[in-house]
Amino acid sequence: MSEHHITPLRTYLIIAGILFFLTGLTVFVAKFDFGSFNIIVAMAVATFKATLVALFFMHLLWDDKKNLTLFVMSLMFLGIFITITLLDTGFRGGINPEITKPINERAAFYESLPLTDTHGNPVDSHDDQHHDEGKDHY
Amino acid sequence: MGDNQKQNYLTHPKGLMSWLLTLDHKRIGLMYLVSGVIFFLIGGLIALGMRLELAAPGNDFISNETYNNMYTLHGAIMIFLFIIPAIPGALGNILLPLMLGAKDVAFPRLNLASFYLYSLGAVFAVYTIISGGVDTGWTFYTPYSTQSTSNVIPMTIGVFIIGFSSILTGLNFIATVHKMRIPGLTWYKLPLFVWALYGTSLVQITATPVIAITMVLLMLERFLGIGIFDPALGGDPVLYQHFFWFYSHPAVYIMILPAFGIISEIIPVHSRKKIWGYKFIAYSTLSIAFIGFLVWGHHMFTSGQSVFSQIVFSFITYFVGIPTGVKIFSWILTMYKGQVSFTPPMLYALSFLFLFTIGGLTGIFLGAVALDIHLHDSYFVVAHFHYVMQGGTIVAFLGGLHHWWPKSFGKMYNHTIANICAVGVFLGFNGTFFPQFLLGLRGMPRRYATYDSQFVELHSYSSFWSGILGLSIFFAFINLVWSLRKSNTDDPGTNPWGAMTLEWTHTTSPPHPHNFEKDPILEHGPYDYDKVIVEPTYKK
Amino acid sequence: MSNDKSSPKFLQHHFHDVNQQYETAKLGMWAFILTEVLTFGGLFVAYVVFRSWYPEMFVGANLLLDVNKGLLNTIVLITSSLTMALAIWAIQKKNKKLSLIMLVATFIFAFIFLVIKYLEYSHKFEVGQLPGEYYSYMGPEIAHINNPHIFFSIYFIMTGLHGLHVAIGMGLIAWLIYSTAKGNLNSDYYTPMEMVGIFWHLVDLIWIYLFPLFYLI
Repeated sequence: MSEHHITPLRTYLIIAGILFFLTGLTVFVAKFDFGSFNIIVAMAVATFKATLVALFFMHLLWDDKKNLTLFVMSLMFLGIFITITLLDTGFRGGINPEITKPINERAAFYESLPLTDTHGNPVDSHDDQHHDEGKDHY
Repeated sequence: MGDNQKQNYLTHPKGLMSWLLTLDHKRIGLMYLVSGVIFFLIGGLIALGMRLELAAPGNDFISNETYNNMYTLHGAIMIFLFIIPAIPGALGNILLPLMLGAKDVAFPRLNLASFYLYSLGAVFAVYTIISGGVDTGWTFYTPYSTQSTSNVIPMTIGVFIIGFSSILTGLNFIATVHKMRIPGLTWYKLPLFVWALYGTSLVQITATPVIAITMVLLMLERFLGIGIFDPALGGDPVLYQHFFWFYSHPAVYIMILPAFGIISEIIPVHSRKKIWGYKFIAYSTLSIAFIGFLVWGHHMFTSGQSVFSQIVFSFITYFVGIPTGVKIFSWILTMYKGQVSFTPPMLYALSFLFLFTIGGLTGIFLGAVALDIHLHDSYFVVAHFHYVMQGGTIVAFLGGLHHWWPKSFGKMYNHTIANICAVGVFLGFNGTFFPQFLLGLRGMPRRYATYDSQFVELHSYSSFWSGILGLSIFFAFINLVWSLRKSNTDDPGTNPWGAMTLEWTHTTSPPHPHNFEKDPILEHGPYDYDKVIVEPTYKK
Repeated sequence: MSNDKSSPKFLQHHFHDVNQQYETAKLGMWAFILTEVLTFGGLFVAYVVFRSWYPEMFVGANLLLDVNKGLLNTIVLITSSLTMALAIWAIQKKNKKLSLIMLVATFIFAFIFLVIKYLEYSHKFEVGQLPGEYYSYMGPEIAHINNPHIFFSIYFIMTGLHGLHVAIGMGLIAWLIYSTAKGNLNSDYYTPMEMVGIFWHLVDLIWIYLFPLFYLI
């Protein structure tokens, strides 16, 4: 197997370095609010990282192009699935506006759920400062 | 000639374990064939039971609940345990390496694993049957499937497992077609059955994972109430349908593309004429495989999806019929001025042309949104998909069995009986399902055990002819199996039909365990009847 | 053909030469990657659809996820991808010892990933942030949000399936460690290592998307 391409060590280390940098970048950028661009920025960084992993770590840059084709095809069909489904879910109510919103805005079981504190312990909705000491409340 | 006396894959190696642990693609194909046909017959018996009940209105001997179980099981068994695995698993496994000049598929152990996954999934399906069945319809639509008390979970586990069998077979075939061809066997010299299996395999690996995750989500919805499909929990049942049909529409192309491949093999051979439009047929296979991923919403026209997506799906659906039409014309043009011999494979191929054309055209009816609003979930749809799946795939499968039987077993069956059965299948099929188009147009809904008296006449015709259909199929199989008896000395030779692809020209009947004594050398194209003469080794 | 004494032991009888076998294995592996992308893809569809319907659910509920643990997991996985790639590099360079070290390192990083995940999950179990109808956390951050159980359902299913793949990867890496130590894998034949490597990088790749989608935006 000596004719196989061996990726140089330097390449692996440089790519790993870029990946760490981009990870830090994506966390840093998430602290700012770009509105609806938040998702686009995050996905752009993620996609760039994914491309590096695919091309270098997974060796697609040097491999038989059929392998790259298979990978790209998988993304393409996933894209088709997402896009065409969104053509339905994003455009409901074109003729009957009342079906735009899902039937139940809030699932029924929430009615019986008490409010909780950040540790998951139920709190009394009227009284979350004091411990109960025999007060009469609902 | 004494081919049967030499070593062949049936006789060598010997012993039960050599079969259970075989890595020989031909043996694996045979195991798929036997299992597939068994499930086909079980699914068929369920159907005959349904037709018996439907012969007269009212619940004569089957309650509504039992009927719900019957059509669910009939659909699930036929689709998941027979039609999807059968042609690739049985004929594909036996023939693909032979047609490529290869010694085996790319990953023989994976091939055996595929078969055992199929068997494991089948165990779950059988368990579902004997433990009370499942009544949701083979489509398992939510929210009923998340709430039904019937055996949804074992059935969905079975589907999940069989899905992996399908994926691994597709993966194996893709690698085999790309990498295991003999030198000189370029893409445009491949038999069209190989193109068909290749296209099918691409669809299998791309679509099947989605049904797998859908079944997982369905099971989780049942167990945990995750709420993505259940409107009471803030979810959307139409989303389930998107998930389900994203696989199940391409699945119908998994069912039909191999059948197209069989017809592409039978017609040139039994017309002794070069295939017309080789590249048209090859590229139309890939087009169908691709476009098939864009049209799933045409199963959902009455589900409540957005009108915008209805329009998009309907528009694209019209395109998917075009490459299929190209194939039909190519096959007809192949027969034109050929020496057509009315052998059993050819009779099935001719049946296919007629029946599949009706099925395909009625699909176009259903692709029109306005028409589908009326016809959805009616018997028109039932007739349409039976014309394409049974009149198409199963008829092609029978044709393929009859075509490659002498190669696979070194035995020839009785042509007269086979021909009679082929005609019986054709007449029985039309008699059963053509009235169902009319029933659907007149408003008979599907999945109903009983009906109004206005539908009696058409239902009774349908039930009567279903008996003829069932008997014809049954006797066709009996005739084939009967040919295997020791006292059958009718030797078909290595190339009974005078065909030109490698499995006919370079292997014995039945083939040697390692397929070829030495690597075959390609001498001519797969359909070069205009350049080369290959004599059939069997004269009736 | 297969009686040829000069063909290596690992050459299977239906292949002509080792290169055909190697290239075929790679092609098969990439076809498998395609199926994995589409399996996870289905879950991404569910994410996208529900995010488009309930954007506030995702933006609100992800405040409950621990970004630090998510970030640590990302770094752990990228490092493990590096060590996996270096394991292959080492075996190509005939350095069996380094290859084993890298494989063990990858295994350890995978284990750390699962430990961190376990810590995250157990915290959620404690406070009631559970999938589906088992959901019971109504803390101040999300009490005003409709259906947070759907967010957590999707979170658990996606990270759960991913975690399952990490665990499977660990099993495969353990097998590689054994095979390499025994000498079955070497610079002439390391195809299984490459195959597991491709699988492992896919696991990393999926997490590269899961991290921002759940923890950051």
